[in-house]
Amino acid sequence: MSASTNSVPNSSTGSKKSLKAFSDDIWKNKTAKINAELFTLTYGSIVSQLCTDYERDFVKVNNQLFLMGYNIGMRLIEDFLARTALPRCESLAKTSEVVSKCAFKIFLNVTPQVGNWSSSQDAFSLFLDENPLSDFVELPMDAAKELWYSNILCGVLKGALEMVQMDCDVFFTSDVLKGDQTTELRVKLNRVLKDEIPAGED
Amino acid sequence: MNSNQKPEMTEHQKQQLQFQLFQESLPKVNEIVYRMLLNETIPMAVSVQNRLSDNSDTQGTLGQELEEKLVLDPLKGHVPSHKLLQQYLASESDQQAKIDNRLNQIGFSLGQKLSQLLIFSNNPSLSFRDMDLLAVMKFVCRDVWRQVFGKQIDNLKTNHRGTFYLLDNNYKPVESLALDDDKSLEEKALIDPYLQFPCGVIRGVLDSLGFKEEGAVICTATLVDNAESSKSKSPISSRAVIFNVQVAVEN
Amino acid sequence: MAIQTILVINKSGGLVYQRDFVPNAPRLSSNEYLILAGTLQGIVAIASQITPKSLQLDGKSSARGGSEPMGNNSAPLVPYMGTLGATTANGAPLGSFLGPDYFNDAFASWNGRGLKHVTTDQNSLFVYHTLTGIKFVAVSTQPTTNAMAVAVAENLLRKTYCLYADYVMKNPFYEPEMPIKCELFDQHLGTLVKQL
Repeated sequence: MSASTNSVPNSSTGSKKSLKAFSDDIWKNKTAKINAELFTLTYGSIVSQLCTDYERDFVKVNNQLFLMGYNIGMRLIEDFLARTALPRCESLAKTSEVVSKCAFKIFLNVTPQVGNWSSSQDAFSLFLDENPLSDFVELPMDAAKELWYSNILCGVLKGALEMVQMDCDVFFTSDVLKGDQTTELRVKLNRVLKDEIPAGED
Repeated sequence: MNSNQKPEMTEHQKQQLQFQLFQESLPKVNEIVYRMLLNETIPMAVSVQNRLSDNSDTQGTLGQELEEKLVLDPLKGHVPSHKLLQQYLASESDQQAKIDNRLNQIGFSLGQKLSQLLIFSNNPSLSFRDMDLLAVMKFVCRDVWRQVFGKQIDNLKTNHRGTFYLLDNNYKPVESLALDDDKSLEEKALIDPYLQFPCGVIRGVLDSLGFKEEGAVICTATLVDNAESSKSKSPISSRAVIFNVQVAVEN
Repeated sequence: MAIQTILVINKSGGLVYQRDFVPNAPRLSSNEYLILAGTLQGIVAIASQITPKSLQLDGKSSARGGSEPMGNNSAPLVPYMGTLGATTANGAPLGSFLGPDYFNDAFASWNGRGLKHVTTDQNSLFVYHTLTGIKFVAVSTQPTTNAMAVAVAENLLRKTYCLYADYVMKNPFYEPEMPIKCELFDQHLGTLVKQL
């Protein structure tokens, strides 16, 4: 199932370097960094405030986190493109690679594994072995069933991909916080918004 | 010169260096992501307020339906963040107060945890034998601020009776906000929610260090016209914020 | 070569930013600028249409999921130009782009087949597209067809894009697709162009 990800050549990153080396360089030398623990704690404070506000109605919390991420993603994509100047991906396989090796690396310093491709190659999963949002987090009993703690990530991806004209569904299918074996984030491409692709690129 | 100075490094300096190395070795994330997360909390808080007030009108089955729709279409009811900020301006002052309070709370619970984080990391410049109020405030200005906003508070003034003025010459979260020199009242009102978070952080840190009583700490913040930006050579105008902290002290 | 004007055009062809850098050069009225932006949008689309088919074919792979038939080979690389850094003259970084210079590699131009530059007897106009559909346009004071000058312009426009990402998109009050009124963007763009 998880074939075909590594077979894509890395030659179009704007240089001869591999995508990984390219991202590593940006992360190491050109990025202002802050303590990941601070990031975790801040996100935790936000989620717990939402849980209080919505009186532990976790469906609404999930949705609010998603929307928050969506608003971030729509703006963050410009930052990403300006930094990397990566060209448009010619296939979803390439997109998945850019997301995992470049976007996650530059912004969160993690590299999720790509896998679990659908047979028609229009959906893939990102397996988050490390997740800076949820380090040291333990969900209370009532939240474990319904809350997708890191749902903001789905929103960010959704917003960012939409801005490069890819209409996707992004959702979590499992989370280690809920006692699952892995944290799996599913990205399913519905369609490419052809009309909105800037002329001159088609 | 250098070789002479090296062995003379004091114990304190050594510890400082060690601490710095330790800090650098901790896992990191991109600062931009953090800034965006923080700034996005303001529109989010507005959105929460909207939904809560909607909900009180449509209790019961309608609410249930809405919930099912949310699962099917997560973007249902999406409002872009700049619109949410405009809604903030348009809303009643009691609504604004609720939104501000929500942001303040987020800062508060971060502040509470943050002091633990900073204290357990063996910072050599902290000594807890005589942690009086002034020392606590210095801790806020130096360590807390550096951790959260990447810089220290520029000026701390106190009357030694529980009132403190903390001046941040360039408050990071409002750095990328477009503000005209002749700021309209409206735009100034929009800054308020951005200042709630740090106030909450200050309260939270003080709370975790023993100033627990309800209402013992009052913290407000105002944007000031920066007098120094005209003096300095840099063309980039900075946004200075004064935090006014009042702590009720018994003795 | 000096830069006379920089324009930003949104994805639907509306002019969202316009700034002149040469104080007493002849300038267009704001209405004429709007027309220029709309015209450019059209020309960009036409330019991509009239590119010979034979050029378009190469690299057309199984584009399921992706939308860019432009293969890896056909993406033209813009060489890196060291003359304009991502830092100000005194070494302070412009915006959040760290390092003595944020870019030191050639980068792929996103302008596959569309309009890249226009030259007249009086001046040249350079266009840089982004994947999200924004177009950055620079007008120079002198005509040039020199490949070097084009590369410099493209580097400049990419850095303009970086400033846009920093000071426009990170400004929470900015409404996407609407005119840009950001003081900080103005300031930094001014610094950037001055270094040229």
